[in-house]
Amino acid sequence: MNGEKPIEGERKVFMTGNEVVAWGALAAGAEIMYGYPITPQNEIMHYWARLGPKFGKRFLQTEDELSAGFTTIGGVLTGKRAFTATAGPGNVLMQEPLSMAEAMRIPTVVVIQQRGGPSTATVIYSQQEVTLTCFGGNGEGLRVVYATASHQELFDYTIKAFNTAWRYRFPAFILGDGYQAKMRESLVIYDPAARGIEMISPEPLVGKTGVPGTDREAAHLRNAFSVEEELLHALGDDIEEYERVAPEIIEYDAFNTTEADLLVVAHGVVFRSVAMAVRELVNQGERVGYFRPITLRPFPGTQLREAAQGAEQLLVVESAYGQLNKLVLENLYGSNVPVRTLFRPGVGITPEEVNEECRALLAGKEA
Amino acid sequence: MGKAVRIAIAGEGGQGVQSFAQILTEAAVLEGKEALYIPNFGIEQRGGVSIAFVQIGDEQIGAPKFKTGDIVVALSDRAVRRGQMHVGPETIFVYDAGIEGIEADLPKNARKVLALPALETASRKLHPRVFNVLIMGAVIGATRVVTPEKAKEAIEKRLGYKFEKSPELRDLNFQALEEGINLVAGMEVA
Repeated sequence: MNGEKPIEGERKVFMTGNEVVAWGALAAGAEIMYGYPITPQNEIMHYWARLGPKFGKRFLQTEDELSAGFTTIGGVLTGKRAFTATAGPGNVLMQEPLSMAEAMRIPTVVVIQQRGGPSTATVIYSQQEVTLTCFGGNGEGLRVVYATASHQELFDYTIKAFNTAWRYRFPAFILGDGYQAKMRESLVIYDPAARGIEMISPEPLVGKTGVPGTDREAAHLRNAFSVEEELLHALGDDIEEYERVAPEIIEYDAFNTTEADLLVVAHGVVFRSVAMAVRELVNQGERVGYFRPITLRPFPGTQLREAAQGAEQLLVVESAYGQLNKLVLENLYGSNVPVRTLFRPGVGITPEEVNEECRALLAGKEA
Repeated sequence: MGKAVRIAIAGEGGQGVQSFAQILTEAAVLEGKEALYIPNFGIEQRGGVSIAFVQIGDEQIGAPKFKTGDIVVALSDRAVRRGQMHVGPETIFVYDAGIEGIEADLPKNARKVLALPALETASRKLHPRVFNVLIMGAVIGATRVVTPEKAKEAIEKRLGYKFEKSPELRDLNFQALEEGINLVAGMEVA
């Protein structure tokens, strides 16, 4: 079975988001998953552990998320396409290994299924891990964060995250949530090669053959510096590179922005409610539009400013108390457009709620 | 095309609410429709009220959860109370006629409130364990969101491994489905 491809061509399936991630990682050619159980991402591990061995893949359950993060880094150092997945308090613990990955420019792929916080809170759902995933750890947030909104995207971006991580050597995250993890909907799973997607082959980052400096460049992976200027120099190079490649990585979606008096901004699964509400309002002749950052890091700031140009007001909708809003405000600095908010920390948002809020704002009053 | 049909199913853990939802959405997908199903789950492993949010339509489904269902099904007293919050003026509220002590808790604002003798029918004619499939039959009969044929295919897909060991379970489930459809056949529900 080992030489067999997990997916031949493509096929339509109906499954949970966690199962989708496992299939996405298989399709991407991931070789090993390291992980520690936490709801609502458990089934990524379950499906991987069930499906993987059929295709010669491996799984290691570690003692906690700290070691899941570090073993993932270890796997990558030896040249494996490795990944991990976590949520909530696990995401907190994982920030230490992931800042090391950020410092040492080690490509890592992490799937986050956000749950309610702070602390244990709920096992269900939230969008409260935006700040943590984008800027966690004692670093500068030199990462790529894809916020998915559907099972098709979970599959597509899981595959893409591996190539992004290995191409740019910044940690890549899929930012899902408990709803996406647990719900079932249909999507098409496929073999990336059948769609012309070429996967970047990982190679060992340490223990290479040959004499360093003579036969090859030295592998110089550092996360410790004795002189502060030395850190500034190394970090400066990384920041410069991050900013240089950001325009290639940035992804977003926008609708009706030039005709909109009210521009609604949302990400992830909440975007689905926003898209429904906005399209319905547009069909009824209302002047609304939406802007959706797909990458939360790097953030599509230029594109947001452009989309917001003609708007009289913005509405930021999220299942958190202003984590997306911070990114929006930072990127709109200098613009005079008033920013309204609909914050529902840890709770799902329905299209009806978005519709109602939009109508109130269009009528000139806050709901 | 019309909007997606929204169905909320509430019951006690172990009443088969989630398998009901899974079979129904699986049948919709076999039918070539779009479907989305999300379970409502808490920290407790058992003992809580379990709710399944199901949407079936012709186009990709939007948001996973909804406030108001077209059909809200309640299978226990606590589920009757919990299911209330998903009832609106267009909702058909379905509950099992055998649930006691909930008269005052039945929704007042629903389009229709239907008491189905589902558990009684299942127990008398078939077996109490196919109670959830019987209710599913009633929902299918009332909404026609999927055909009985595809519902059977979906049952087969999900429970086929059990039918291999005990083939009589297949008939039991298929009969429960038919009984459920018949239960609402005479009622003005659509």
